[in-house]
Amino acid sequence: MVRLADIPEVEREHLLAKDCTPFDSRPWAVGPALAERRVAIMTSAGLHRVGDRAFSVVDLSYRVIPGNIRADDLTMTHSSLHFDRVGFREDVNIVFPIDRLRELEDEGVIGSVADYHYSLMGAGWLPHQIEPTMRELARLLREDAVDAVCLVPV
Amino acid sequence: MPTTGISLVREHTLQMQLPRFLWVPFALGRPFGASNEPDFQRRVLRSALELFEGHDGPVVLADFPDDAPDSTANDEEEAIWACPISFHPPAEKLADLVTATLEEIERLAPWHEIYSQRRGMVAVSASGLDRERVVKILGQFMAGETSPEVEVDGPIQEWLRLGCDDLRTWYLEAAQGQPGRGSATALRDWFWCDTAAARLIGAAARRLLEHPDPVVQFLAARALVPREYLPELMPVADASEGEAKEDSRP
Repeated sequence: MVRLADIPEVEREHLLAKDCTPFDSRPWAVGPALAERRVAIMTSAGLHRVGDRAFSVVDLSYRVIPGNIRADDLTMTHSSLHFDRVGFREDVNIVFPIDRLRELEDEGVIGSVADYHYSLMGAGWLPHQIEPTMRELARLLREDAVDAVCLVPV
Repeated sequence: MPTTGISLVREHTLQMQLPRFLWVPFALGRPFGASNEPDFQRRVLRSALELFEGHDGPVVLADFPDDAPDSTANDEEEAIWACPISFHPPAEKLADLVTATLEEIERLAPWHEIYSQRRGMVAVSASGLDRERVVKILGQFMAGETSPEVEVDGPIQEWLRLGCDDLRTWYLEAAQGQPGRGSATALRDWFWCDTAAARLIGAAARRLLEHPDPVVQFLAARALVPREYLPELMPVADASEGEAKEDSRP
């Protein structure tokens, strides 16, 4: 069990000091039944294909992860030192559950898996700084007919 | 765009009033709970996706009910894991840290080979530098050099950070090749508290706080040694020094 109370004090204080001001609006986008939705994963874990450019210490760009990628073809160049990476090295799905998403497609729980998924490096920037990147990603997701995005932190 | 998501820090998600999030009681770095537990991972993912149905907005924050399966099993045993390999006592002189780290690498190499054979793969070098080269470069920084020649392109802060990541990853892979199974916390403590490599990174980072490039100074202060190990490894740069005006620290 890991909750804020269970992590080192210096880490807890750092996390609690984060500015988590709500956005100006609270959009509530809806869509078809889950079994008809096309699902993409968006991770902030700093993942990318092994041959892709590594993320920088502070990086507002994104990397594309094809839906048919083998989980083992992913690597992580996140700049934060403050989370566990042992689990990721054992099994990518603990961070980026692409195999699980395919299984849910096979079971008919979701409609389909998107052709493309996206990765950011979620450290060093504030929400308003990443907005242009997110708007670009929203356009790409729409082009891929995605109507459900699972946002995954690390 | 309809979204759902995983929340690792419930307090943040609650404050931000976001649509459809599933809080999970898992460690940072493990949003789907446990490695090699496909049924459990699928339950977590399905729970997050099912927030698309049967809820009214604009804010939904649900709690996943179960702890990760490996967070309770053998917890005590894993938490007290210690690397079976005895390294030499800590080098008394900073200059000896390079030699001590290279000796550690030599002693860990067979276990890294076992890990590689078992997994069928290892982490690739993100920096483009091999680990012995990273060790020697850290020694050069520790000795006061500010721009040692390297075989890769890009600014110092990028290849240095990635080189340190590569080195740490290699050590942790070697540790995972050994008998016994340490928890993520035990492995992390082992690397940062018990290895010459960590002391070398700390010593180099401490010297880089005086680097002429402020970006490198920033890297040294924030992104080479985790906050919780700063007092031990970088005693002049505790967590309260140089707070960023904006909360944008990695």
